[in-house]
Amino acid sequence: MSLTTEKTDANTMLHDWVNQYSDALYSWALHKTSDKETAEDLVQETFLAATRAFNKFENKSNAKTWLLSILNNKIIDHYRKQFRNPLVRATSQIEKNASDLLDNFFNEYGEWTQEQRPQEWKEEENLLDNSVFNQTLAGCMKKLPSNWFSALQMKYMEEKSGELICQELQITPTNFWQILHRSKLQLRKCLEINWFAR
Amino acid sequence: MIKKKMTHAVLLSCKKASALIDKKSVLELSWIERTQLHWHTSICDGCRFYEKQSVILNNVLLHHLRLSENETFAIVQNQELKEKIATKL
Repeated sequence: MSLTTEKTDANTMLHDWVNQYSDALYSWALHKTSDKETAEDLVQETFLAATRAFNKFENKSNAKTWLLSILNNKIIDHYRKQFRNPLVRATSQIEKNASDLLDNFFNEYGEWTQEQRPQEWKEEENLLDNSVFNQTLAGCMKKLPSNWFSALQMKYMEEKSGELICQELQITPTNFWQILHRSKLQLRKCLEINWFAR
Repeated sequence: MIKKKMTHAVLLSCKKASALIDKKSVLELSWIERTQLHWHTSICDGCRFYEKQSVILNNVLLHHLRLSENETFAIVQNQELKEKIATKL
């Protein structure tokens, strides 16, 4: 097979993929970023990266899975940048407010205040797949300061040790788990109010 | 009040205990941290619930933020994007 035919084949295949999978990729990116423009950029970058790395794609593996793994890396990069973004960090007065808010959780002795003390949650079956619950969760996550939100994405999106994530972000492990702790305190409370205590 | 402070020095305050509970899912706790946390949650309902719910949160976040193989999510169509990418290939 000549080089030109190979190239045309690759191009035909990539066009097929765009037709077949771009909506699915876009939907996932939109679910992850809640921003139309960001999601579109990420999907475009995914296809450009796929074009460049086309010869690494083995026909044996599933094209959609391959494209999704490229997209996921792009999404993680996006949150890494968001987390480091000095503009986002400097303007996060919200973060200061959130840290003041934490003082509401505990009294001067460091005990739970009356209204913040965690209550028992009734157990629910199939909670993970309940779409209404997931919407509530997404709503609660959106209330977090944006770099806390990015930290959660990086912690839960891929299987990576806390130490490694901290190295990549150039923050101390203490800094990282404290951000996660504050996020979880707030998420827990938000879910208790909006879901478990309905 | 002094008694309270002394108790917290040994058995931890809820503020410290809840922080250790979340620290645990990122870093390994030291022996002394594990022991103190164990003592604390054995006498404190609030933190025992917090510990249980911290695990639930880990699970729901994992499920919500990570794409599993056979997951189906609502497909949003974007014809414009499709055409835009096609011209760039």
